[in-house]
Amino acid sequence: MNRAVLSRLGLTLPLLPTTSVGSLPKPPELLAARRRYTAGAISRRELDGLAEEATVFWLREQEAVGLDVLVDGEMYRSDLVGFFAEELDGMALAGLVRAYGNRYYRKPIIQGPIRWEQPITVGWWRFAQGHTAKPVKATVTGPYTLMDWSFDEHYGDRRAACLALAQELRKEVAALVHAGARIIQIDEPALSARAGELPLVREALGVMTDGLDAYWIVHTCYGAFDTVYPGMLALPAHNFSLALADAAVDWIAHFAAAPFTADLCAGVIDVHAHTVESVDTVRARIAHALPLVPVVGLWAAPDCGLKTRRVEDALAKLRVMVAGAALVRDQQDSGGSGI
Amino acid sequence: MEFVVHNHSSYPRAGETEAAQRLRRAHTAWECGDITAADLEAAERVEMTAIVREQIEAGADVVTDGQVRWDDPVSGVMRAFDGVRLNGLRRYFDTNFYVRQPVVTGRVRRRGPIAVGDFRQASAVSQRPVKVALPGPYTLARLSVLDNATYDGVPALAAALSEGLAAEMADLAAAGATLVQIEEPAILAHPGDIRLLRELLEPLWAARGAAQLVVATYFADAEPLYAQLNSLPADVLALDLSSSPHLLATIAATGASKTLALGLVNGRTARVEHPADIARQVETALHRYTLDAVHLMPSCGLEHVPRATARAKLHALAAARRLLAATL
Repeated sequence: MNRAVLSRLGLTLPLLPTTSVGSLPKPPELLAARRRYTAGAISRRELDGLAEEATVFWLREQEAVGLDVLVDGEMYRSDLVGFFAEELDGMALAGLVRAYGNRYYRKPIIQGPIRWEQPITVGWWRFAQGHTAKPVKATVTGPYTLMDWSFDEHYGDRRAACLALAQELRKEVAALVHAGARIIQIDEPALSARAGELPLVREALGVMTDGLDAYWIVHTCYGAFDTVYPGMLALPAHNFSLALADAAVDWIAHFAAAPFTADLCAGVIDVHAHTVESVDTVRARIAHALPLVPVVGLWAAPDCGLKTRRVEDALAKLRVMVAGAALVRDQQDSGGSGI
Repeated sequence: MEFVVHNHSSYPRAGETEAAQRLRRAHTAWECGDITAADLEAAERVEMTAIVREQIEAGADVVTDGQVRWDDPVSGVMRAFDGVRLNGLRRYFDTNFYVRQPVVTGRVRRRGPIAVGDFRQASAVSQRPVKVALPGPYTLARLSVLDNATYDGVPALAAALSEGLAAEMADLAAAGATLVQIEEPAILAHPGDIRLLRELLEPLWAARGAAQLVVATYFADAEPLYAQLNSLPADVLALDLSSSPHLLATIAATGASKTLALGLVNGRTARVEHPADIARQVETALHRYTLDAVHLMPSCGLEHVPRATARAKLHALAAARRLLAATL
């Protein structure tokens, strides 16, 4: 459906493009280096060097697996919100807070006016794109999630904090567009936290993206999609990347109640399960999503970032995803080449 | 007037210190197959002891086990029921915390005690009473997905869960629990179900023996339901003042027919409240309050703040209690 946008941006993707959501597992040596860096045993330059090596490793692996749109794997990031909080002026990190199970994140605190001082991810995106001929998707955590997942001790008002973040993050995505990024994903896992605030999400994403020419993906996961659908389709997004595999609810059936007016990047891999799905499971999940959107508007991805899996498990999951997509692609009449 | 400092339910099981990382690391090691389930159980026991002591040192008169063994309260309870499968993650109300969503696949039946073992372990290392906090039948039913026709909706599932939780209540009372908290935050989004909630709580009330039943709501404004909440079968009503901007004035104006546990420190913010401000709120609440005791609590489980902040918030409540004891 938004193939025209991709085409205008000079991107030709096959039917059923496959991609990863954003984060990929850090190799053990990088994890060890991050611990040494925290302890003051190595320099930032040494750490960044290892993160670059890990980025190149993952670019090669994604190419080998056969993904169509690559990511840098976020080897240099701590987590979804902490990384941006460390880079944005006015934010700091508080202590560890549990997200689920045994997973924790350093919850940010907004302590003063939020200011974007310099590009945060642009150098890494350039580095990644410089190492592959395939398009590299840029990923930026969205203003609503950054606000919702932070303690606010400055603005005292969710809307004010969210819009301040949106204005500053706009500078980051503008810098990405200027650097040549054509596919930009805004991660908003908190999108459905408070359904009544969906207009705020829309306003904030509008502030962040209005007038900037890119193919915009909004990623969200593990939420109460029923509370924000179909209203979320009014967000400024060409594509919604949604966690669908790890859900007790058949979201595809739920979405069918209203025309799904954007492209859909269907989550077809459960990133929290140790076991690797079968190719047929992935094929069936993709096929299940087919009636919802025209086939030219359907993508396939894992439910969320794969960083909590081991390197070999993440690779195995990506391989079955690509194989499953290939099976569905072969079943289509379009011939499987670029559209 | 007796002032009781009373922890809510969960407590951060990881913190910044090396010692406070041990359980987190043990979990990771267990997930990777590097340690046994018995090793993990031992690590949980050590952390539970540390958390109980930390609450006491911070000044709590009533402590909890911190819900150390649970990934989350919903799956912590529902995994003890037959007829339930745990599915993927689902946001816990509007927090940044995710729970495993229960999928009800058949008739739900409690297989055996859920929290009795943890209660006994925590009690063995505590000089203070240990409260057990469990999500209630209505909230559990609201957070579950019905996968077949065994139950035709929330009321039927909640009634079945109420039966199981009443058995749990009886087991806890028999084990010596003096305070059991049933948490029903979901009722605030569905106020029309308050009569249903009353019916669901009756079996737990009847099974409580010598234990006191605390009914807790949080994460939303309880003020519109305050009068009806006072009519629930409960000994203590725990209320989140942080999410209820007008509730204090209502309590001041109307009093209470149940002992109140006032959620005076916000379990979801990093800023630590000032003891004098906490004490002032309590004084306001006592304007028409005729009962003998009032409990000073966090607004919700302290899982949502860093461990040092959780400790500091309990400290603030204890300091407020000292101020109140000196002036009232």
